[in-house]
Order: sequence, then structure tokens, then C-alpha cells
Amino acid sequence: MRLTVNGRPVEIEADPEMPLLWALRDIAGILGPKFGCGIAACGACTVHVDGTPVRSCALPLGQVNGAVTTIEGIASEDRLHPVQQAWLEEQVAQCGYCQAGQIMTAVALLDEIPEPTDQDIDNAMGGNLCRCGTYPKIRAAIHKAAALKLAGL
Amino acid sequence: MSSATTLLTAAAISIFALGYASAQEPALQPGEALAEWAGIYAVLSHPRCANCHVEDDRPRWSGPHYGATRVHGFNVQRGTDGSGLGNPGLRCTTCHFESNSKDLHGPPGAENWHLAPAEMVWWQKSSAQICAQIKDPTRNGGRSLEEIARHVRDDKLVGWGWEPGAGREPAPGSAEETYLALERWADAGAPCPVE
Repeated sequence: MRLTVNGRPVEIEADPEMPLLWALRDIAGILGPKFGCGIAACGACTVHVDGTPVRSCALPLGQVNGAVTTIEGIASEDRLHPVQQAWLEEQVAQCGYCQAGQIMTAVALLDEIPEPTDQDIDNAMGGNLCRCGTYPKIRAAIHKAAALKLAGL
Repeated sequence: MSSATTLLTAAAISIFALGYASAQEPALQPGEALAEWAGIYAVLSHPRCANCHVEDDRPRWSGPHYGATRVHGFNVQRGTDGSGLGNPGLRCTTCHFESNSKDLHGPPGAENWHLAPAEMVWWQKSSAQICAQIKDPTRNGGRSLEEIARHVRDDKLVGWGWEPGAGREPAPGSAEETYLALERWADAGAPCPVE
């Protein structure tokens, strides 16, 4: 089957029941999305399908009905996405394993709510777990990313 | 007499005959109709149905490995817009796809996964309360009883209740049996139990 990943066509020869994450990592060599739990319970594998966050570890390839965007696909040619930039400025990552999924969810949140409250952030991010407990920094980075995005930076 | 008039007259006679037959030979006796409702209530109040027909904003989880029923993890909610589709960044369809996960504790799935509207509340409600709700168009999605019966038979998300995937107890009976029970109960006047 043919997927569109980060704007490029990707040919995947695989069982339609294979989780999207397996195809991205093991066939397409796109290693940003991470395997955490395998049952959509941690968020490390989060990617977008037509802009909506999905847990790619649980989504069968045969049910991918739209363009896939991974952490590799959100920056422009010369500039990080505001969420990535804020992540750096706030030094969010501790071990960093969850951050690709965290960032993809935050990107989707800001696409729908440009100036989220703390509650909006908590409502969006509850399915993305961080074993290092960097949640205060995640929240701060999302507020900063909102400001950067609104400023066009 | 024109052919159109003939057809209309025949239709009127048929409708009258149906109404007469219905009045003379009710499908079920009152006690039987209440027993039919009890079977319907067993379905609607079952966790596979009631866990997502909640009054507040939190779907429920339950099953042998949960102990007591608990709120859905991950801060999952109805959605601040009241849509039942979840919140921006964390929609129901972020994890619930078109089919059940085959993995233990993986997310169940069906088309259009979402929380039922808050006015269609079944969780922890009595038989009489659910019965009154199901007959009230302001609390049943504006449906007639016939439309409710067809919704139960045909809707893929409702149908998931009988095919919830490994490790989850299905709702009693089947979609078709529940549809037929709703038809018989409606034909008998749709009596409700009294608390």
C-alpha cells in the first residue's frame, strides 16, 4: 500500500493488520515515533493522520485513511516548529523518550486552541505519559510555543 | 373510481385493519411486555453500553481486572464543546479505531467511537428511569421507538457492545434480539416499570 508520510509517498509491503508504528520504524526507517507500551496507553508513538493525533502503535495500517505526519515532518526547511523551539528553550526533555509524542499532541492542541489555558493543556496531554515527570516544563513549553506561534516565530 | 382513489381506499382499509388487529390482539400481555422491557434494560444497563452513557464528562472502565468501575484513564473527557468526541489533542479516535485491538488492555474499536450525549444517561440509573428516558424524544435523540429499535440493530458503535473484543464481557443477547424485543415492547404499548 502507499502511504503519504511527511508529504512524501512511501510504499509499504505489509500485512494491513501491522501497526502503523511498525511500518514507520521498521520499513520506512522513520524513527522519531517511539515504541512505549504497544497498547495506546502512553503516547510515545503519537503521530498525526490528517492533523489528528493517533497512537500509531495501535492503529492498523489498513485503517490509515489520510496523510501521516511524524515529528520529522513538522519543522519547515529553515525553522523548527514553535513547539520544538519552545521545548528547547524550556529544556523540557530529561530522558527525552516521550518527547516526540508529547510534541505531536501539543502541535495538534495549538492547531485547534491557539492560546490554551492550563486546563486545555491538561485535557489534551493526559494520554502522553512522562516517566521523568517533566509535566511542569511541558506545560510551560506549550504556553511558550503558543506565544511563539502567535508571534509568527 | 380512479385507480389512485382505489389505491388510497385500499391503503386506508389496510391501516384500519392493522389498527383494529392491534387493538384486538395486543402482541403481548402487560406482564409479558414488562418482562420484555426487563430484558432490554439488562442490555442498556450493561457496562458495555452504560459505561459510555454517563451523566458527567467521564466515560467509565469496568471489568474483572478493574475491581470496581472507575473513570477512564488519561484524563479522557466528553469534550469541552459537549460533542462527546473528546478534547482537542485527545479525541476518542486518537486511540479508538475501527476495530478492537487484539492486545490485552489494548483499545477497543468501532466506527465513530464517541460518548453518548449527556441527556442519554443510563449509568447507575434504574430500570424505570432508563425506560422513561428512552421514550422521551428530548432525551433519546429525537427518535421514535421504531427508530430506536433500528438504531440498536444497525449502528456499528452500538453493535460493538455485543462484540467488545477479548477480555470484555459482551452485552446480553444480540443486536437483532434486542431490536426484536424493542419492537415487541413498543407494539405492546411500551410500558415502564414503576419504582
